[in-house]
Amino acid sequence: MITIENLNKRFGDLHVLKNVSAEIQKGDVVSIIGPSGCGKSTFLRCLNLLETPDSGRILIDGDDVMAANANVAAVRQKMNMVFQSFNLFSHLTVLENLTVGPIKLKGIAPASAKEKAADLLRLVGLAEKGNHFPDELSGGQKQRVAIARCLAMDPEVILFDEPTSALDPTMVREVLSVIRKLAKDGMTMLIVTHEMDFARDVSNRVFYMDSGGIHEEGTPEQIFQNPQRQKTRAFINRTRGLSFAIRSEDFDFYGMNAEIESFCEKQILSKRHRQNLLLLVEELLQVYRAFLGHGVMTIGIEYSERSGRLDVICEQEGPDRNPLQGDHLPDEIGLMIIRSLVDELQYSYSEGFSQLSMTVRAVAPVSV
Amino acid sequence: MKVRIAQHIGFVLMTMMLAACSKTAPIITSAKDAETSRIGVMTGSTSEAIAAKRFPLADVKHFDDVVDAIGALKAGQLDAVLTGYPAALQSTKRNHDLALVQEDLSNEDTSIGIKKGNTKLLSQVDGIISKLKADGTLADMSRRWFKKDLSPYEEIDITLPTKGAPLKVGVSATREPFNFVDAEGRITGHDGELSRRIAQGLDRPVEFENMRFASLIPALQAGKIDIIITGMSATPERAKKIDFTQRYYELHQVLLVRSALAINPNGPSFWDRTVESFDSNIIKEKRYLLLLEGLKTTVLISILSAALGTLLGALVCYMRMSGSSYLNMPARVFIDILRGTPVLVLLMLIFYVVFASLNVSPVMVSVVAFGLNFGAYSAEIFRTGIEGVDRGQTEAGVSMGFTRAQTFFNIVLPQMIQRVLPIYKGEFISLVKMTSVVGYIAVHDLTKASDIIRSRTFDAFFPLVMVAVLYFFVSWIFIRLLGLIERKTDPRRRRHLEAKS
Repeated sequence: MITIENLNKRFGDLHVLKNVSAEIQKGDVVSIIGPSGCGKSTFLRCLNLLETPDSGRILIDGDDVMAANANVAAVRQKMNMVFQSFNLFSHLTVLENLTVGPIKLKGIAPASAKEKAADLLRLVGLAEKGNHFPDELSGGQKQRVAIARCLAMDPEVILFDEPTSALDPTMVREVLSVIRKLAKDGMTMLIVTHEMDFARDVSNRVFYMDSGGIHEEGTPEQIFQNPQRQKTRAFINRTRGLSFAIRSEDFDFYGMNAEIESFCEKQILSKRHRQNLLLLVEELLQVYRAFLGHGVMTIGIEYSERSGRLDVICEQEGPDRNPLQGDHLPDEIGLMIIRSLVDELQYSYSEGFSQLSMTVRAVAPVSV
Repeated sequence: MKVRIAQHIGFVLMTMMLAACSKTAPIITSAKDAETSRIGVMTGSTSEAIAAKRFPLADVKHFDDVVDAIGALKAGQLDAVLTGYPAALQSTKRNHDLALVQEDLSNEDTSIGIKKGNTKLLSQVDGIISKLKADGTLADMSRRWFKKDLSPYEEIDITLPTKGAPLKVGVSATREPFNFVDAEGRITGHDGELSRRIAQGLDRPVEFENMRFASLIPALQAGKIDIIITGMSATPERAKKIDFTQRYYELHQVLLVRSALAINPNGPSFWDRTVESFDSNIIKEKRYLLLLEGLKTTVLISILSAALGTLLGALVCYMRMSGSSYLNMPARVFIDILRGTPVLVLLMLIFYVVFASLNVSPVMVSVVAFGLNFGAYSAEIFRTGIEGVDRGQTEAGVSMGFTRAQTFFNIVLPQMIQRVLPIYKGEFISLVKMTSVVGYIAVHDLTKASDIIRSRTFDAFFPLVMVAVLYFFVSWIFIRLLGLIERKTDPRRRRHLEAKS
C-alpha cells in the first residue's frame, strides 16, 4: 500500500534520515520506536509531506506522491495525522473541529457531516462534549477529539506522532484504548511511541529506528524478546551508559569518580553496588597503569534498568594482551580484588582492540 | 459615559479658569515697557526678525499662528504680541481686553510672492497692481477692509471666468482682514478680493489653497501653488527664495497688549462671557457648519487611511513573514522606516516632495501618508496575531488536506482577528487623533476648523472644547463599532447564540 524507497532528509548539516526504505501493507499496525532524535517523527512527517524529503520515493497505491503533478492535498486526505500536541482548532467547537474538513474539503452536507461527527464522538466516548471548545477539555479528551477528527476524513492510514507524550500518565490509557480499538477494526496505522508495552500489544510490526535509519525491524516478539542487534538490545533493555577516555597517568581520577557517583545516584543504584563499581574502576586503573600512554584506553559503564545489570567494559587499542595476565603486575592483590568484585569476566580481542568486560556484583564481594 | 464627558469638560473649564486667574503681569503702554517682557511672534514672519532686533532682552516666544499668540496673550502667558497693524487692530475689535501700543516699529512692503523664474506672471501681476493703484481701486479696498469698527464688510462681486487653468493662490486664511474664511466657507478679506481681481486681470478662474503661513513658500517652490497673496511682507530673506511684485500695502508692525479692562473687576460676569463666547464661536455665521465640514473630512481621512493601511499592512505582513529575503527585506525596511519617522514629517514629505509636481488633492495625500503609517503598524500587529496562533494548528489543517491558503483562511485568520482586534482598535483611535496635523497641508479637518474660528474670534475656549468633544465622540463611536465586530467574531458568543436558538 505504501512503499518508501531510499528516503533522505537533511536539516542543514544534520542528516536526519539516511536511505530509509520500508513497505507498509493494508491493515498493518506499525510501531516506530527508538531514542529521541533518531528521526522517527521526521520519518512520519515525510510520509504526508509535512516535511519535504530531499531524495527518495514514496509510492502510495503505486502513485509517486513526490512527483511534480501529484495532488498533495488528496494524498494527505488519505493519510491523516494525530499530533503529540493535539493541534485542535481552538476557535471551533469540538463538533466543528470534526465537520470543518468534510464540509470544506469533501463537500459533504453540513447536516450529514454533523451526524457523522456525532457518531465519531460517541466512538471516542466524547458525545457530550460536542459543543465545548478545545480549551475546556483535558489533554486526554483533546487527543481523543483529534483522533475522531482524523477519522472524520475517512483516511486510509493514520499517522500517530507520539500521541501520548504530552499527556499525564492517568490520561495515557484513555487515548491508548481508543487506538487499540482502531487497530482491532483493521485501520492501517503508523505509531511513533515511547509506550513499549502498548507497542508490543497493539502492533503487528515494530521498526526500531536509530541514527537516521530503520536499524531493526520485526514482529513485536522478535524486537522485544529477542532483539538481534546491539543498539536495539540496549534500547529495549533501557541501558544507560557512561564512558571515559583515558590517555595518560595524569588523568583526572577524582573528576571521573564524581561523575560515576552522580551516574549511580541517577540510576538509583544501591550503596553496595556503587562501592563495588568505584573500587573496581580504581583497581582496573592500577592494572592498566603499565599500558597507559600506549594508546587510548576507554572505560565504559553500562547499566540496564530492566535487568539491573551493571557492566564495565575496558577497551584498548593495541596488541592482543590480557592485562590480567602477565608479569607486569607488582602483586596478585589487585587481581584478587577485581575477581572478588565481579560476577563475570571476559577477555576478547578483535580488530586491533583488546576488550575486558565484567559484570559488577550487586552484593558484598566474595573472597576468591 | 455622560460622567466621562462631564469630567472632560470640567477639566478643560478648570484649566481655562486657572489661566484666567493668572493675569497679574503689569500693563504695557509703550514699546519701552515691553523691552524686558514676554513677547509672542509668529514663526516665519517679519515680526520674528523685528523682535530679535528691537527687543533683544525680551523673552520672545514663537507661535505657529498669530491667533495662538493672541490666545496666549489673553491667557496671561504673554505680555505682548508683535504683529502687523491690520491683524492687531482686528483682534482689538473683538476683544475689549486687548489694546494697541500706538508706536510703529517698522514699515514693510506687503507684496505678492511668485516662484523664481516665472517672470511672465511677475510682470503681468505687477501690471495689474499698477492699474489698481492708478484707478484708486486699492485705496478703496483699504477703506472697505481695514476698518476700525465691527460694521459688516462691503464686498464687491468680481466675475471670473469658469474655464481655463485656475490661478492657484496660496493663503493663510487666519489673517483677518487680509485673509479669512467667511460664513459660507469662502476665502475673503482684502487679499481675497485682491486675488480675485488679479485672476480677473489674468482672465483665469481662482482656486485657494489655505495652509499654514510657514508652509506657503515651500508650497510655492514645489509648484503646489502659483502665487502667494496673503499679506506677506517682502523681506530680503524671503526675496532670496521667491520673487515679489511691487508693494500693494504698507504694513506697520505694532505691539498688541492687554488693556486695563482686562483686570477690571466690573467687567461682564464669567457666565455672560461664556454665553457670548459660545454665541460668537459656534452660532454666529453658522460656524458650527465649519466644524461639521471639518468633522466629515477627519472621519473620511481616518476611514480611508485605515482601509488603505489595513490592506497595505496585510501585504507587508505577508512579505515580512515570507521565507524569501527578496520579499522579507523590503518589508522590514518599510516597517522600520515608517515606524521611526513622525507622521507629520512623512505627510509633508509626500506633499512637498513626492507629489510635488502632481496635482493630487491634499486629502488624498493625507490618506496616503496615514495609510502608509498605519500599514507599517498594522503589519506588525497582524504578524504578532498570526504568530500567536500555534503552528501546530496549521500543520493539522495541512495534514487534513487543506492547502496552505485554505488553512490560513479557515483556521489561522479567524483566530488572528480575535487576537489583534483589541490592539487594532487602539491603533485606529490613535490614527483618528493623529490626523489632526493634516491642516499643515491645507486640509480643512476638524482641528483646522477650530483654527479658522479662532482666527476670527481670537478666542481659544469654545473652538478647542468643541473640537475635543467631537474627537472624543468620533473615537467613541469607532471604539463601539470595532467592539461590535470583536463580539460578533467571538466564537464563544456564537455558541451562546446557537444554544439559544
